Amino acid sequence: MAEIFNAAKQTEEIPELEELEKKGQYRSALGGLLVSPDKTSFESQENDEKVVIMGRKHFVTNVGWIAMACFAFFIPLFWGEFPFIKVLTTNVNFELTLAWYAGLLFYVIQNFLLWFYNVYIVTNERVVDIDFLGLLNNSVNVTQIEKIEDVSYSQRGMLSSFFNYGNVEVETASEQKNEDGRRGPDFDFLSVSSPALVVKIISELMEIEEREHEISRV
Amino acid sequence: MNNLDAIVAQGSQITVSSIVGIMVKIMMFLLLVLALVMVRQTSLMDKVVKLPVGGNVKLLTLSYFVLMLFLTAIVVLA
Repeated sequence: MAEIFNAAKQTEEIPELEELEKKGQYRSALGGLLVSPDKTSFESQENDEKVVIMGRKHFVTNVGWIAMACFAFFIPLFWGEFPFIKVLTTNVNFELTLAWYAGLLFYVIQNFLLWFYNVYIVTNERVVDIDFLGLLNNSVNVTQIEKIEDVSYSQRGMLSSFFNYGNVEVETASEQKNEDGRRGPDFDFLSVSSPALVVKIISELMEIEEREHEISRV
Repeated sequence: MNNLDAIVAQGSQITVSSIVGIMVKIMMFLLLVLALVMVRQTSLMDKVVKLPVGGNVKLLTLSYFVLMLFLTAIVVLA
């Protein structure tokens, strides 16, 4: 009986993960992909559950709002060009500039928060997708590794090839329909860093889970 | 229109600056409320998923709220 337990434990090691851990890659807290991250946990995590990878959208996907914020930063320097603002008193002009920068800072922090907290987590038991939509709505999707049927990724466009990010689609046995009524992927991790590596790790975990299942049946 | 006439009759002047000034004050107050919502939401997000440097992010939103409190006080009292 003890041999069976040992065999099950041995299969839980993934060689790619160990290699990445040794190299110290994917350790940045603000990175798009973290391998075996420290200080990472989620609400429904079990005691014996270990976070294998944690990821979010690639940083380059933030370029749009960062460019917008940079552009907005310089607009108050040209207040004088706007005839409507020209007629304001110095005091009100100052207040308007303060309000502008306060609003801009809010925009930047909010976008950063949404990027930072929209994560997916892969543990040795489950896949968890945490989505925050705006400041007031969130959704958490969880599935067991053993229920995953298929996992695939796609990279489209020059930017995604250049920065190595893409969409990872995880399909499970459960029925999930899109807004147009067609069956879609249950878990859609959009613009994640190193999608090939993510798919490889999830596939390995699926194989491990399958082997463990067979051992427990024996 | 009658109300406006009454104000003018009392010697008050409505200028573009005064209207914009009031709108800016309201906007600062709304931003203050949004900052408070953001602080609350960040602590809820941190509860759902604990991430590395999550504590610093919470501190960042709290700092923004304090800054907004300070700026709103300046703008409203000015």
